[in-house]
Amino acid sequence: MTAAVEDRPLLRVDRLSVEFGGPAARLRVVDEVSFDIEAGETVGLVGESGSGKSITALSILRLVPEPPSHLAGGRVLLDGVDLTTLPRDQLPDIRGRDIAMIFQEPMSSLNPVQRIGDQVAEAILLHQKLDAASRRARVLDLLRLVGIPDPSRRIDAYPHQFSGGMRQRVMIAMALACNPRLLIADEPTTALDVTIQAQVLALLRDLKTEFGTAILLITHDLGVVAESCQRVVVMYAGRVVESGPVRAIFRNPSHPYTRALLQSIPRLDEERRRLHQIPGNVPPPGPLRAGCAFHTRCAERLLRCATDRPPMMQLGGGHQAACWLAGPMAQAPMAQAVTP
Amino acid sequence: MSAVTERLDLLAPEPSRLAIVRMVILNRPSTIAAVCLILVFVAIATAAPLIAPYDPLAQSYIKINQSPSWEHWLGTDQFGRDVLSRMIYGSRNSLIIGVLAPLVAAIIGTTLGVVAGFFGGIIDRVISRLVDLLISFPELLLAIIIAAALGGGFWNIVIVLAAAFVPNFARVARAQTMAVRAEPYVEAAVASGVTQLRIIMRHIIPNIAAPIVVLMTLWTASAIRLEASLSFLGLGTQAPQPSWGNIIRDGLNNLFGSPWPVIGAGLAITSVVLAFNLLGDTIRDVLDPETSP
Repeated sequence: MTAAVEDRPLLRVDRLSVEFGGPAARLRVVDEVSFDIEAGETVGLVGESGSGKSITALSILRLVPEPPSHLAGGRVLLDGVDLTTLPRDQLPDIRGRDIAMIFQEPMSSLNPVQRIGDQVAEAILLHQKLDAASRRARVLDLLRLVGIPDPSRRIDAYPHQFSGGMRQRVMIAMALACNPRLLIADEPTTALDVTIQAQVLALLRDLKTEFGTAILLITHDLGVVAESCQRVVVMYAGRVVESGPVRAIFRNPSHPYTRALLQSIPRLDEERRRLHQIPGNVPPPGPLRAGCAFHTRCAERLLRCATDRPPMMQLGGGHQAACWLAGPMAQAPMAQAVTP
Repeated sequence: MSAVTERLDLLAPEPSRLAIVRMVILNRPSTIAAVCLILVFVAIATAAPLIAPYDPLAQSYIKINQSPSWEHWLGTDQFGRDVLSRMIYGSRNSLIIGVLAPLVAAIIGTTLGVVAGFFGGIIDRVISRLVDLLISFPELLLAIIIAAALGGGFWNIVIVLAAAFVPNFARVARAQTMAVRAEPYVEAAVASGVTQLRIIMRHIIPNIAAPIVVLMTLWTASAIRLEASLSFLGLGTQAPQPSWGNIIRDGLNNLFGSPWPVIGAGLAITSVVLAFNLLGDTIRDVLDPETSP
């Protein structure tokens, strides 16, 4: 594929909506989600369980089974090519070559009856013309790259002979096999213990600086985001509520949900107190909703929040938030606020 | 990463598959007996022309319905044929059909089941209803119906028994495929651009092979039993070719003169079926991670 035009992002997700179910019971799980990923950039996609972040990521590669799901609108542009309208038989050419994916269950993401080396080699076999010997050499390089000790011996081992962290490294090696330009990592560290988590994140960071791979890091861990990402997209109940540079979001969170999320992180440098919690639960997915998705749990809600969907307010420097209280409207009289 | 922690899992390798198999078999003398018995029958069937004392088809009107003697260990039948020789040659039929019918059924049934389980939707519904239809008949009844339509003979018995077994393989393959298809490694393979056919061949079938193999050993016993039943009813191996089933049928005519053909062939069928069932149980225990030690 040709090099991207300068002002075009590597990946543009444009007002993407995904619905589940038939016309009788239509559930909108991803609601007009938009964000860009520039080449070589790490973007964090943050949200609690059920916020639609995984479905958003899977929809980029059209990996959500249809039916029961279907695209309800929007586009996904990779270098200007719309993946949502691409014929289904062309998808395998994109998958693994341009965009690769790492999943959250390293323990079950490897085929138990296939040797590690064969699994890593599979993507190379599919997307590149290499003979068996150079394929094996490439697999050895990849295993070395992701920090598998003694790769020439481990290449012929089976997954059950690997620990969880080592399996996640193999998964990363598989994903990197064809030098993808975008790596989607769906909670790559959730199933790992903390020390291994740090190693895997460090590995992803190293790979990014070395190969310029853009990474979409899906996580519910804001600590991971602060450590690894340049930009953050915060999702709540299928919608993007706030996005922008990591610094701006952490210093000046402009959506009440982001603020509440940041307050819920335990800190070591403060005296121990009860952690902040957001009252209520994420609303279950339903049909199209009016108003702000967060208004039922928001401490600062206005009357209009229940009826009018807030637009993305531009706060400067690429920072934007979907809240009536953000941006110029923030100066509106607070008398309107109702106490919960 | 600390080199020490990484070496730990290399120090204590898991026991190999072969070691587990050896352990299970040594803990069960019945399995050893079963394997030995099967090997003995295989040897007899292979070396039939060498060890059979007479031609199994040679008739002799002066030796009709004899009791066991030093010349004829199991006596002779109503055509004066040596029963022992017929039993030895009959073992070929039983064993070959016993292996071939489940093998053919496994190939067809697994293909149907994997296609149904993998693609789902209307394809699954059509195949599943077809399988339900076939499975609602007991195997013997289904075999008799098809055999009555096709007639006897070696290949027809294989077709008849395979057709009767196909639904069992299709069901297991379908259920296993649906389970494996939902595994993250299949999703990961799709995400890395693997095509559907390759996913079926490389990721689904190797992972559902174990239960299919177990099913094959268990149905081998049934195939031997059913071949004997069909031959007994005159729908299986056709005279004058010997088979354990029609040796029993021929022997029934002279049961009170000489019961040895019936007893001999009956014992042969019973012991082979028992041996294959025992072997099947052991293989199931070895392949099932929940019961393997």
